[in-house]
Amino acid sequence: MSVKDKVKKILFVDDDIDLLEQLKILMEIRGIEIITAETGKEGWEVFVRERPDAVVLDLMMEHKDSGFVLAHKIKKTDYGKKIPVLLLTSATYDTGYKFDTSSSEEREWVKVDGIINKPIVVEELISKLEIFFESNK
Amino acid sequence: MTNGKTKILIVEDEKGLREGIKRLLELEGFQIELAERGTEGIQLGTTNEYDICILDLRLPDYDGIEVLRQIKLIFPNTVCIMATAFASYDTAIEATRLGAFSYIPKPFTPEELLYQIDKACQQRRLILESEKLKKEREERLLELAYEKGRLNTIIKSIADGLLVVNSKGEIVYFNNSCLKNLNINSLKIGEYILHKIPNQIVGMINQLEKDNDPNQSLINQIEIINNNGLYVEAACSPIPFQDGKYSGVVIVIRDITQYKKIEIIKSQFISMVAHELKTPIAAVIGYLKIILDENVNIPAEKEAEYLERSAIRLSGLVELVNDLLDLSRLEVKEKKREFKEIELVKLIKTTIEFLDLEIKKKNIQVEFSSEISEIKLNADSSEMNRVFTNILSNAIKYNREKGKIGINISIDENYFVVKVSDTGIGLKEEDKERLFQEFFRAKNEKTRGIQGTGLGLSIVKRIVESYAGKIEVESEFGKGSVFIIRLPVVN
Repeated sequence: MSVKDKVKKILFVDDDIDLLEQLKILMEIRGIEIITAETGKEGWEVFVRERPDAVVLDLMMEHKDSGFVLAHKIKKTDYGKKIPVLLLTSATYDTGYKFDTSSSEEREWVKVDGIINKPIVVEELISKLEIFFESNK
Repeated sequence: MTNGKTKILIVEDEKGLREGIKRLLELEGFQIELAERGTEGIQLGTTNEYDICILDLRLPDYDGIEVLRQIKLIFPNTVCIMATAFASYDTAIEATRLGAFSYIPKPFTPEELLYQIDKACQQRRLILESEKLKKEREERLLELAYEKGRLNTIIKSIADGLLVVNSKGEIVYFNNSCLKNLNINSLKIGEYILHKIPNQIVGMINQLEKDNDPNQSLINQIEIINNNGLYVEAACSPIPFQDGKYSGVVIVIRDITQYKKIEIIKSQFISMVAHELKTPIAAVIGYLKIILDENVNIPAEKEAEYLERSAIRLSGLVELVNDLLDLSRLEVKEKKREFKEIELVKLIKTTIEFLDLEIKKKNIQVEFSSEISEIKLNADSSEMNRVFTNILSNAIKYNREKGKIGINISIDENYFVVKVSDTGIGLKEEDKERLFQEFFRAKNEKTRGIQGTGLGLSIVKRIVESYAGKIEVESEFGKGSVFIIRLPVVN
């Protein structure tokens, strides 16, 4: 079963409208719908309303930790626990926030299922989603 | 004796003898005082220090031995000669025991007396000389002790910690700062210490001992309390014996917590700059890749839109680089500031004209009023330009279509006050305090799509403050903001 069967609609939360636009184009030609939000607050509203099959969110938005807060809120819901939530960041080494999600302990702490670096490589995003569904069979 | 005549006290009850001795000795140049009775003798002899006393052993009221005892108790250096016709072996011993210098049997000839006095004078001189030497030695010792104490006080007051450890790992010396800088509660001289101090220091000590090179020093930065609570730099140098062999190590421990904090702020700032530079570049690359990707078919008008967006992001990047350069120039005060007389009212009016195109684009109405027609300031015109261009272009950028901008200049005691109000998006309470921080940009649904580097207001604040001025903001979210700039009136 490929990701496309599992993921039809991804919520992408980022405050950079250009990145939202680009990801939309790149995912839609692969037949995946992208719904977007620009703040953590808006992201939560869209998540509740649209029930996406996956969430990709930026770490730093209106606040430095908006991504963490939103990920935490999503992962607390029953629905959120079932879908992959990926944290998007260029911050891993740049800003001194050093974290990783290679162990389940770290994933539990960060409250996400994986980290994707900016700029997004679509193949990397898809493979991270695959990993999630592989390990959650 | 030390200054002037030798003073002699004579205690003698026989008047003829008393007066005779006096006359004889005065002729010899001595200063004489007389006492007839023991009481009188004690009184004189214990209130003034005489060089020599001649004491009759048998007095009407007192025994001469008692007079001797009393005088010696107060002035042990007075040389006493006992005179008596009733000389006995026992009394001689007793008088000598009490410190009498010599004995002169009565009756005596003037020559006999003068011989005794001469000997007594020599004795007195010796005593005074030795007293003087003793005093000098004591003073020197005191001075030495004081010197040592002073050096100790100086070392104890140094802010850097000082720790001396011998080759057995025992403490030889430490000062108070050493306890503070190593976060140790107590140390004792002679105590084995290697388990009490950080491993890095022990490592350096071992290394120095192994290498046995008297010219080698080792330095290490050590975190004593986590999370930058306390950071020290420890410098270890070996203390050689005279034969050149290793005898121990002196360690200077300096608190460098503040430097470390600055270092962290600096590296965080660089990370933020890198992040801010990378973001627009990533956006532009993203668009270019889409346009160049043969698998992606996008309509021509979309392509044009993406190129337009790329251009906007790139001009934002140029703006950011310029702001960073300005910031670094302000940081390094070396920037050549050209102070000259500028006219503030005119400068603000020119700025409004300069921004006319943007004002018209948004259909904004500008109201200008000033209590004063002319404000002369001694300032760098490019800096003042930067301030008002920034504040006014913010007022346009964050304003609504068909909004208003009010500019009011007034004077308030020692300050010229420029108020720039807008009818824009305003600020949320939590964003107000962070507004002047580097890279802070209020991010909410209303600021969406507005370009900015996040550095403009921090630069404005730095400039205004460099003129001993102030900048404040009053704002209501959704209604608008007022920026108030105060610049000091200089006579």
